[in-house]
Amino acid sequence: MDDDLVFKALADPTRRLLLDRLFERDGRTLTELESQLEMSRFGVMKHLKVLEQAGLVVPRKQGREKLHYLNPVPIRQILDRWIGKYREHAVSALLDLKTSLEDTA
Amino acid sequence: MTTMTDTTTQVYQLYIRATPEQVWDAITNPDTIAKYFHGAQIDPGPLEVGASRRSWSPDRTRLWGDNTILECDPPRRYVHTWRSLYDDELAAEDESRVTWEIEPADGGTSKLTLVHDKLEGAPKTAASVTGWSYILSNMKTLIETGEAFPAAT
Repeated sequence: MDDDLVFKALADPTRRLLLDRLFERDGRTLTELESQLEMSRFGVMKHLKVLEQAGLVVPRKQGREKLHYLNPVPIRQILDRWIGKYREHAVSALLDLKTSLEDTA
Repeated sequence: MTTMTDTTTQVYQLYIRATPEQVWDAITNPDTIAKYFHGAQIDPGPLEVGASRRSWSPDRTRLWGDNTILECDPPRRYVHTWRSLYDDELAAEDESRVTWEIEPADGGTSKLTLVHDKLEGAPKTAASVTGWSYILSNMKTLIETGEAFPAAT
């Protein structure tokens, strides 16, 4: 999955709100997602499309309905690729600081 | 108005730089599974509908799962039951279902979709299997680079 698409998709409060709604209860229809937002159906559709292109939302047909599912895998990949690396770095920098402060104390 | 929601289905999807056959091998070959699935040891057995898919802890002392293959259509679709036996509370819950779908995609990649559903009678299992993200991310790394992350505990 393209990291740029994921970061761009996440860089919008409405889209993050949609993901939070799906996290609370997954597998929702457009109608249901729309009813919780002060936004036109077209607006919600556009945001969902961006989330789908980033792989963060996966649509699946169930009967005549199209249900939207939160796909947590791209976020996991961002975590593995970006966050984990820097978190480790920050932790080791703090440990270095602790050691050097304690040595000079 | 009725709104249709589905809270007992989890969907995980990713693209892997590999052929559908390579992905199929990764989800069915016991040697490969051990490398990305917490060291699980799958008993070798026929890949056919009705056959059992039994998995053990890395030292083969504890039974982690004793599931049944429901559908087997290489290299496209593999469906089996799911019950977590490594924990008494989870083992007491109803059986759920895991579906693996593989589709060829652009640029020499395959799209892998994992659907874990029929979780109606297994709420604790539903809360515990969110680790699929880690497993699948690990599988992708293994297939694409030949190396897996260190086994998670």
